Amino acid sequence: VVPFDIEGIHPHDLATILDRHDVSLRAGHNCAMPLMHRLDVAALARASFFLSTTRDEIDRLVAGLHDAKRIFA
Amino acid sequence: MAADDQFYREFILDHYKNPRNFGRIDGPDITHEEYNPLCGDLVGMDFRIADGVIEDVRFHGRGCAISQASASLMTERLKGMSLEEARRISKDDVLDELGIDISPARLKCALLTLKVLKVGAYGLAGEEEEEDE
Repeated sequence: VVPFDIEGIHPHDLATILDRHDVSLRAGHNCAMPLMHRLDVAALARASFFLSTTRDEIDRLVAGLHDAKRIFA
Repeated sequence: MAADDQFYREFILDHYKNPRNFGRIDGPDITHEEYNPLCGDLVGMDFRIADGVIEDVRFHGRGCAISQASASLMTERLKGMSLEEARRISKDDVLDELGIDISPARLKCALLTLKVLKVGAYGLAGEEEEEDE
């Protein structure tokens, strides 16, 4: 499970763009509001991987992240 | 998808990156802040009112492109408007101005600013009525 954020792109915007690449991830406080406040972040995106995750899915995640960076460049 | 993006349209990204009327007003006549604990979005607005007209308005906060662009657009719309008119701004007005097809999950981002305006504008009315008594 990898929580992350990209400077200049709010996790909800990131999730909306990744959705277009058929990648689902959770974004926001992720039921961990006290921790978000402690870390002083508005929200985080969170990608999860499992045994069933395919290489193609990871490639789509990476493509989506590049797409988001391009839109918000 | 970039330049002609139907959701992250150029003017929305522009308002997100270069928010208009961003900041605080010293000694505002109205100030109100709303926070969405589910997503962490925060929008607050300070108003300076003269003769029932919004002379100046500034917003602060942090959140996604939609919530912040919506707040920035709203401040542009509100300047010079009477409080009475401002109270009549509807959900549809806000969505029309954004002009995007918004999913139910993102609706709250777009409408957070409207909530700040409504509670703020009606809050002041309450105080005035109390003073009249």
